[in-house]
Amino acid sequence: MRRRAPIATLLTLFAVTAFACTALADDVRLETRSGASSRMPLRVTSLTPAGDREAGTTSVQADEVLAADLQHSASFDVARAWLAAPQTATPVAEVGGKWTLRGSTIRLSGEVREYPGKQVILAKEYSGPASKWRDVVHRFADDVVLQFTGEPGIAASRIAFIVQDGRNKELWVMDSDGWDPRPLTADRSVAQSPSWSPDGSLLLFTSYRGGGGPQIWVLSPETRKPFLMSGRQGLNTGGMYAPDGSGIVCTLGMDGNAEVYRLDARGGAPQRLTSHRGIDTSPCWAPTGREIAFTSDRSGVPQVHVMDADGGNVRRLTYDVSYTDSPAWSPRGDRIAFVVRTDAGFDIWTCRSDGSNTTRVVAGGSNENPRWSPDGRHLIFSSDRDGTRSLWVTDLDGAAPRKLDIGGRKAMSPAWSPRMGATSAR
Amino acid sequence: MHPTLLRTTVLVTAVLAMFAVGCAKKGAVPVTPPPAGNTTTTPTTPNSGNTGGTTTNPTTPGGTQGTATVADLKTIFFALDSYSIDGSAQADLDANAKLLRANTNLRVTIEGHCDERGTVEYNLALGQKRADAVRDYLLNAGVTAGQIATLTKGKEFPAVDGHDEAAWAKNRRAEFK
Repeated sequence: MRRRAPIATLLTLFAVTAFACTALADDVRLETRSGASSRMPLRVTSLTPAGDREAGTTSVQADEVLAADLQHSASFDVARAWLAAPQTATPVAEVGGKWTLRGSTIRLSGEVREYPGKQVILAKEYSGPASKWRDVVHRFADDVVLQFTGEPGIAASRIAFIVQDGRNKELWVMDSDGWDPRPLTADRSVAQSPSWSPDGSLLLFTSYRGGGGPQIWVLSPETRKPFLMSGRQGLNTGGMYAPDGSGIVCTLGMDGNAEVYRLDARGGAPQRLTSHRGIDTSPCWAPTGREIAFTSDRSGVPQVHVMDADGGNVRRLTYDVSYTDSPAWSPRGDRIAFVVRTDAGFDIWTCRSDGSNTTRVVAGGSNENPRWSPDGRHLIFSSDRDGTRSLWVTDLDGAAPRKLDIGGRKAMSPAWSPRMGATSAR
Repeated sequence: MHPTLLRTTVLVTAVLAMFAVGCAKKGAVPVTPPPAGNTTTTPTTPNSGNTGGTTTNPTTPGGTQGTATVADLKTIFFALDSYSIDGSAQADLDANAKLLRANTNLRVTIEGHCDERGTVEYNLALGQKRADAVRDYLLNAGVTAGQIATLTKGKEFPAVDGHDEAAWAKNRRAEFK
């Protein structure tokens, strides 16, 4: 097993460090593609508390966080050893370890043992400030996923989203499991369409905070100070960084009509990519940076199209369904998610990036703004399927989506961050 | 009825009557309105229920410093997924144009709005299209460009909360602010 990639700015803040890294047995690997889920039975045992007396309190909570992370990875079917429920299938491995609290520092000595032989196949130590103990657990969970799938999990990531309170819509962020939702703006205005930079350090968003029409702003979730990225005449919406961070695609109205443009990374030097009297909007990069998916109503109703990054070679994505919008390209590159209009609102579909194999993945209620997890195995979206618009996640395995509990707030327009600590997007 | 509103209504009816014949409904956008200062006298439309056709043009095309406010301007409504100016919208816009020409001191912002059935992104673009279509119509009707600014509000500010056609129809609009 390889050493972990250098830990980037955001994570150093949490000072989560990996000390030892051993893999004593051959890796067991699962084949994964966007949305493909086949779960391995896994047994999670209670962490053993050590050090300060309070360790016993957080260790019990850490047990649950670890089990939930592994279950939500969609790689495992998790059995909790501390519950009486019998194991339905023989687990491939057992996960556990030691949870040591000393003063303000928490240390997790994580272990994965083969089952039933109990041979150690992963042993690794993690530490961080006690106040950030959940991040320590997330790091371990992501390494357990890496051990079995060849790719780290996504527990140590964040979700940006919009919270509506009356007529105001503010930008918020929370952990990927819905923990610690917190506002990033207090503009008493309307914000929409957040999108992360490839290193997870910045968020682009559309906002009326400037007082006129919609403008594109950028802020760091740490400093929370917004800077204007594009406030040109007319429309400025839906900015998204290129996978290499070198530029931004967005919709501008500066030439009198809604068209897709490329800006440099500071919001300057607009380069027009589309030219049609209809509406061209909602641009989204392919993870290669070589193509851009976008929505155009040039054929009548809105339809997702794909073009080369220079604006050439425009083609409609799929003819299997009509009225399609909100394209989101999987970080693996193999699939594109989008919405399809229904009588009730929107369903969510995916297809291969060449437009074939269209598949409806979410139906019921109105479902909007699908965005991929950084491993391409989940989609987060907003839905009013249970009455109030809120955020939901599908593991794309046919199971019912799960709702993220954010205190009953009216939430929409989610954006899943890249892995915090990753040096580049896939 | 508020006196100002009543006066506007009378005025609007007269203008509507004058322009009724010249404005055959067109499916395509942009719609070309009748030229400013069109003084063709026409019979009243069936539903106007007023004395249309007998009124003379109350203002000169050059415009004056009037007393009208943005509250006197009619909200323009749109069909689903559409930013074209249809028949009844044309009549309302002709009235608005008349008022703006007669009150050149009046500065307005046209706000384009959408119902909830499009996506956030698409509706922001569609709202701008609606505002721009209304602006273009008014400019073609002789309103001074400096009087008009446009803005999109997408589906973020519905006039009516509700999830049926009655609510949606009220939310697909261009408001004068």
